[in-house]
Amino acid sequence: MVARLEPERFAQIVAAHHDQHRDPASSLCLACVDVLGVSGAGLVLMSGGRSLDFIGVSDRVSDAVEQMEYTLGEGPCVAAFHTKLPVFDADLADERTARWPEFRRGALAAGVHAAFGFPLLVDRICIGALNLYHDRPGALSDDQIAGALVVAQCASRSVLAWQADAPPGRVAWQLEQAPNHGVEVHQATGRISVQAGISLDDALVLLRAYAFSHDRPIGDVAADVAAGRLRLD
Amino acid sequence: MSREQDLLAAFTEFADTLVADYDVVEFLHRLAERCVEILDVSEAGLMLADRNGTLCYIASSSERMRLIELFELQHDEGPCLDAYRTGVAVHRSTSDDANERWPTFVAHARGVGFQSMSALPMRLRSDVIGALNLFSTAPEPLSLEDQQVAQALADIATIGILQERALSDGQVVTTQLQSALKSRVVIEQAKGIVAEHNHVSVDDAFRLLRGYARGHNRLLGQTAVEILNGTLASEALAEPTRNQPA
Repeated sequence: MVARLEPERFAQIVAAHHDQHRDPASSLCLACVDVLGVSGAGLVLMSGGRSLDFIGVSDRVSDAVEQMEYTLGEGPCVAAFHTKLPVFDADLADERTARWPEFRRGALAAGVHAAFGFPLLVDRICIGALNLYHDRPGALSDDQIAGALVVAQCASRSVLAWQADAPPGRVAWQLEQAPNHGVEVHQATGRISVQAGISLDDALVLLRAYAFSHDRPIGDVAADVAAGRLRLD
Repeated sequence: MSREQDLLAAFTEFADTLVADYDVVEFLHRLAERCVEILDVSEAGLMLADRNGTLCYIASSSERMRLIELFELQHDEGPCLDAYRTGVAVHRSTSDDANERWPTFVAHARGVGFQSMSALPMRLRSDVIGALNLFSTAPEPLSLEDQQVAQALADIATIGILQERALSDGQVVTTQLQSALKSRVVIEQAKGIVAEHNHVSVDDAFRLLRGYARGHNRLLGQTAVEILNGTLASEALAEPTRNQPA
């Protein structure tokens, strides 16, 4: 049973997870996993409702699932961002549910059986989402939900505090430390738009489609394209 | 030009930059590049402390330098951190006792071809706000004269940062975050477009974009937007631009 989580206590737990080899956003995700008793967590930021930046994950499985969600453009994180409400999918194997079928298939293949999305809200603006993953099916308890809301609030505050120290026009360094597949995705999108003679929007669709059809993480495909090892035309 | 003239030209250039509407990161990138031109070093980079006193990467003369600076931060060891923490300049070669002090860092630095390094504290009265890192593929550390010049360049960086901090207080952070994220997307996409058009690496594409922005007195973000909407052709970036003051 998770005790009622206070923001101050969570901040202490995050500090305890701080490690010189780890970026601050990933420390926050690990603390979240510990406190809430889930198997994985990830933090993503959105800008303009379309572009997505991965800022931290607790582990490799969560990283893979987040990348897959970005590839597909569907899943609890995307839904939480758009609805500004928590999204619960307690059993990804439950075939009666018609939501995000491809996401469910991919997440199950990665060993994730339950997925939850919590919006990162600042006043009424949604800046991204906190995603929780579990390796067994099952709903979150009330305490876990209350805890997740506290974590999401702490995460939003941390993001803003980091960004407050960033030079104008730049993204805070704390948001750049995690393996941010976003950067390579954007570079690859630029390259593909030239290679295929299409718009940037279409180029991103093409990149996602390639990653999906080849069953590869979009970050890997994007890295290959950005470095000129792969052409999509 | 003699070294003294180079240095004077750099000082004049930076003094001209410090007007109301300037991009501090661009300023620091340029400073890093000037360090490589003026001093006998291969790469230069700058790190700055945030408000909590944690050192952060801010600018570098190349992607290779950026990566090694991030490596220093991640492993919490290296000359830049020492210069920042002690406020005293560090000059070392990877073959001497540096190995004991920074075992992980030295092994990595050697692996990517560096043999000596210096780090100069960026001081403001009794505070240290960051450090200038200078790395070389040659084994000899900086000469005494170069050490003094390097400190003068670190002082220029300090002045630039103080100026910017005075201007940036009171920003609305959420809006700033959104626009910073958006601006980064645009810059990364523009890098990809230029890399593909001009058959260069993404790193070189960034250099072309910055070179053009600088040569035409525009902000980097603005130039990237023009590449994206097609009002600026990628080919135009390859043309040589004036980047030395007359």
